[in-house]
This record gives sequence, structure tokens and C-alpha cells, in this order.
Amino acid sequence: MDVSFINHFIESATNVFDTMLGVQITRKSLSLKDSPAPTHEVSAIIGLSGRVTGSVVVSFSTNVALKGAGEMLLTEFDDVNAEVVDAVGELTNMIAGGAKAAMDNMQLSLGLPNVVCGKDHKIFFPGNVKPVSVGFDTPWGEMAIDVGFNEVLEGNLEAVAAQETVGV
Amino acid sequence: MKILLVDDSGTMRAIQKRCLFKLGVAEDDVVEADNGQTGLAEFEKGGFDIVLTDWNMPVMDGLTMLKEIRSRNADIPIIMITTESERARVVAAIEAGVSDYLVKPYTADALNAKLEKWVPTSV
Repeated sequence: MDVSFINHFIESATNVFDTMLGVQITRKSLSLKDSPAPTHEVSAIIGLSGRVTGSVVVSFSTNVALKGAGEMLLTEFDDVNAEVVDAVGELTNMIAGGAKAAMDNMQLSLGLPNVVCGKDHKIFFPGNVKPVSVGFDTPWGEMAIDVGFNEVLEGNLEAVAAQETVGV
Repeated sequence: MKILLVDDSGTMRAIQKRCLFKLGVAEDDVVEADNGQTGLAEFEKGGFDIVLTDWNMPVMDGLTMLKEIRSRNADIPIIMITTESERARVVAAIEAGVSDYLVKPYTADALNAKLEKWVPTSV
């Protein structure tokens, strides 16, 4: 799998944080992820489909989630609540959307974001997918983006378009 | 001026309402919906001057809602505010009758400029 796609997610995340939140984020690590444990406590997950099937997970440390939501809603949050979850989901939606636009050849469709919270939660990618994981520093703490997918075989593209279950 | 604001994200609705209120729109003049089906039901109650809508929403997406509204009203301004930025998607929205388009993420200035264009300052 060509992992250069991850650059689109890095660029998109940088743009979203700058545009919507007015902060600069810095990429600090890049690796293949071995463990299903997300890096931080608040994970927003978006499914990917099209010429690939997989997921993007944006993992926020609690403080980044609270501050990011606070910046968007002009409110100070002390705990992760429904409003923080919604804001985190929307930030992830924008990150994934920006990356999708840069990956036009993959004909990607994005699912709606789901958010999972908790210190020891686990998110499993499809069995043979090893996601690329990018760590970031932000003014509020750390966050990470994990992206992993299988490329869909050419012969199965029509079935994917018809939203049938496909074994890859 | 009565505005229909449709987005499944309460966060994005809050950001857009903030901008509308700064333009002089009264809180009571903004009706919210969190999906296209609810948005269409609100629209059918009548009295709206402008529709702001997201694209990707559960139950009914914004493009489908847009087409339904256009089948009922050819003239009302409909502004799509969405992460969808690929040319084919924008073209699809234009062909469906969208009046204007704003891509997320957006700066406060960009949102303000877009809404100022369609919401008279003397509301």
C-alpha cells in the first residue's frame, strides 16, 4: 500500500486546526500502528469506502477535545459531554473531508463520524490492515490520526458502488 | 427574515447562528433541523426566506433535501455549507439548484462574507 496518502490527512488536519480553531499543530511522529489501542482518550472514527475500504480515527487527548470544542462554541468545558463529542466529530469530519478532496482518484465516500471516549478503549481495523499513525503536538496537548484501508479489487468496484457486501 | 438552518452537527449550527445573530437576525427567526427530512418538514410549514444546509446528514442528506425544496420553490436562496469540495460534487449541487456554496473548514470572515451576501443587514 502506498502510504503517501497520509500527507493529505496531515495537511487537512493542519488546515482545519488553523482555520477553525486558530492554532498551529505540528507533526511529531509517524509510524505503523500495531496495537488496537488509540493513542488518546477521545476517538472520532469515520469509515472510508470507494476504491478503498477502511477507517480514519482522530484521537484527541482530553484537553485538546475540551479546548477545541471550547474554541468552536466559545464555552469553557471541564468534562467531555455531548457538545464536546459533537465538536470533536465535526473536526474529524472536516479533516477527513479535506483529505478526501485531495484523493479524488480514490473516489472516496465518508461515513458519518462516531465518537468513542474512555482511557482504555480499543478500535480495531480490518484484520489485515495496519494503519499509519501520525502524532501531533498542539498548544493544548497531543492528538493523533490513524488511517488504514484495503484497496478494493477492480472486479469488486461495481458491487461496492451498489453497496453490496464484498469480501476483499 | 426567517432562516432554516439544517446541519446534523449542533456545533456547526451554533457557529452559523452566532454569525447570523451578529448580522441582526433574531433568535426566534432561526429554525433548526438536524437532518434533511426534518429540514424539509420545517420548510413545508412555510415562511422561510433562506435555507442554509449541510450535505452529509443522516436520514436525508442535504442534496436530496435541496432537490425536494427546489421542486416546491424555485426561488428561495439555498446555501450549502459542507466539507464536499470536489468539482463533481459542487457541479451536482449547482445542477440541483443551489444558490451558493461554502466549504468547511471556513474562517469566521469567510462565513460572515457569505451570509452577509444573502442576509440583508437591515433585518
